[in-house]
Amino acid sequence: MSAATTFTNTASTSANTGATPLLEIKGIVAGYGRVEVLHQISLTVNQGEIVSLIGGNGAGKSTTLMCISGILALRGGEIHFAQQRIDGTRADKLVARGLVQVPEGRRIFPRMTVLENLMMGAYCRNDRAGIAADLEKVYALFDILKLRSTQLGGTLSGGEQQMLAIGRAIMSKPQLLMMDEPSMGIAPLLVTKIFEAVRALNQEGLTILLVEQNARAALRLSHRGYVLETGRVVLADESKRLLVDPRVLESYLGE
Amino acid sequence: MSAEHTQRLAPFSRGQCIVLGCLAAAPLLERVIPSLQLSSPLRTVIVFAIMALGLNIVVGWTGLLNLGIAAFAAIGAYTFGILTCETYPFQVGFWWGILLAGIVGAFAGWLLGAPTLRLRGDYLAIVTLGFGEIVQDGLKNLEVITKGTQGINPLPAPSFFGTVLTSENNVQWFYLYLAILVVIVWLMRNLEFSRLGRQWFAVREDELAARCMAICPDKTKLKAFAAGAAMAALSGALGASLLSSTGEPSNYDFQISILALCIVIVGGIGSITGVLLGAIVMVGLNVVVLPNIAESLQRNGIGSTSNVFSAPNNYKFLIFGLALVLMMRYRPDGLIQTKKAVRS
Ligand SMILES: Nc1ncnc2c1ncn2[C@@H]1O[C@H](COP(=O)(O)OP(=O)(O)O)[C@@H](O)[C@H]1O
Ligand SMILES: [Mg+2]
Repeated sequence: MSAATTFTNTASTSANTGATPLLEIKGIVAGYGRVEVLHQISLTVNQGEIVSLIGGNGAGKSTTLMCISGILALRGGEIHFAQQRIDGTRADKLVARGLVQVPEGRRIFPRMTVLENLMMGAYCRNDRAGIAADLEKVYALFDILKLRSTQLGGTLSGGEQQMLAIGRAIMSKPQLLMMDEPSMGIAPLLVTKIFEAVRALNQEGLTILLVEQNARAALRLSHRGYVLETGRVVLADESKRLLVDPRVLESYLGE
Repeated sequence: MSAEHTQRLAPFSRGQCIVLGCLAAAPLLERVIPSLQLSSPLRTVIVFAIMALGLNIVVGWTGLLNLGIAAFAAIGAYTFGILTCETYPFQVGFWWGILLAGIVGAFAGWLLGAPTLRLRGDYLAIVTLGFGEIVQDGLKNLEVITKGTQGINPLPAPSFFGTVLTSENNVQWFYLYLAILVVIVWLMRNLEFSRLGRQWFAVREDELAARCMAICPDKTKLKAFAAGAAMAALSGALGASLLSSTGEPSNYDFQISILALCIVIVGGIGSITGVLLGAIVMVGLNVVVLPNIAESLQRNGIGSTSNVFSAPNNYKFLIFGLALVLMMRYRPDGLIQTKKAVRS
């Protein structure tokens, strides 16, 4: 864990200096049917950061990601990505612009092979050379995917499917990668591997918004964090401070 | 790039070659057994194969249940009829007729799909079912244009290189339809491995995930619906040319839609080879096997039309039903199984 600590220390300083916002969410309101689920949520993800969004079950984390991805329509507020307003833009257009989500529960294509799944990620691209390079990058990140490339996605273990889901998202050439609970239902050893991969991706310059219920792991990895409770941001701070914040300790770190 | 993407796609898979090859060889059997009727009824098999290949795009590849595919065949047949029949002002030839029928069919599919494809699976099935009925009623009641239950006739037979086929040229006619089928199978195979094909599979597998891959599910489904409708309309036009008549509107009823669905399911949902086999088995039973048995029974004085039990055609649905039950029990993924996940 010492590596993680030094990483957070250096990272938080870099996050403070010269931050350019990549994603800015300003007071968004959203819901399903008559129920309002998100009440005026605001958050910012700066270029090069890992930001974690933590909160209990049903707090509205996935709903927030669905709003950013353009899959769920807003009822209020604004979303800006790379200095452009994006709320109201169709989901498929946003992916092509680099706003990519790894949805909750992995959702790989079970009856396509691992390679076909990865190629689906590159569906919105035409640069053959770039796609080939990114495929190698994904295989370098998760060597198991190369081994299993001709196997059907549905036959992979949960952890392998999560790797495939992340790999598929990388094939879309994201500027901002949003991950919804990548550690959910996965063996601890694989969780470590996945989080290491997330860190490696970030060190190569990828900006990441990480949604997690596993607050400790997420905060150790990220530069900054937001705590969501029943559709409201109740805390926002640097991750290392959230890790020792008594309110976080009590509610999310089980101490 | 991966091997899959650098490798050139063979024009046909091995299974497709075998099935199409067997079809091509079928008329030779007629020479061996002169009493056997093959090339004429096999044209009907081809017509249904084309309809089922269209339905396979919608049901097999995109995962949408369409219970009204016969309506598009009707639209194709009537378009062909109106465009080619001498009692109408257009009188285009056979080839223009089937081409335009396909285009009108695609448009009809798009018109039906646009407002309804957002419906969830079972609701969409009901809407398509209703559409199938509405089209029949519409054709029946638009008597001024469609001649009601009379049907539009006579309609032109195919012509090529200046020769017009007649009922004397059943073998040539069969080979012409087979050539059309070969072209369609080639198109379908390329479609399967195209960007659009991948889009369809992605939407079938997981709509939300597809959206996360920059795919718009609504547009994707609409394209599947239009493509399927175009193929069904083409098959309707080919069938009408075969009969030299559109037949009456109720020829395109729910039974036809269900037959097309059975072909797709029995053959192996999603597989082109499977659908071809399904058409040969299901329609072949109907138009080749049973009539030939009936004929030979009659020749030997065993069967008579006055005794309902001795006419094999009366067992058609019993045999269909049995075949379906046996399939579901022993080969739930159809004769040709597309790859399936062990665990999902
Ligand atoms: N499709 C939906 N329809 C109706 N309510 C939903 C839907 N999805 C989520 N909700 C509700 O919205 C709230 C937030 O859910 P969600 O964003 O999934 O939370 P989280 O991801 O933080 O666990 C919950 O109360 C949940 O019941
Ligand atoms: Mg969630």
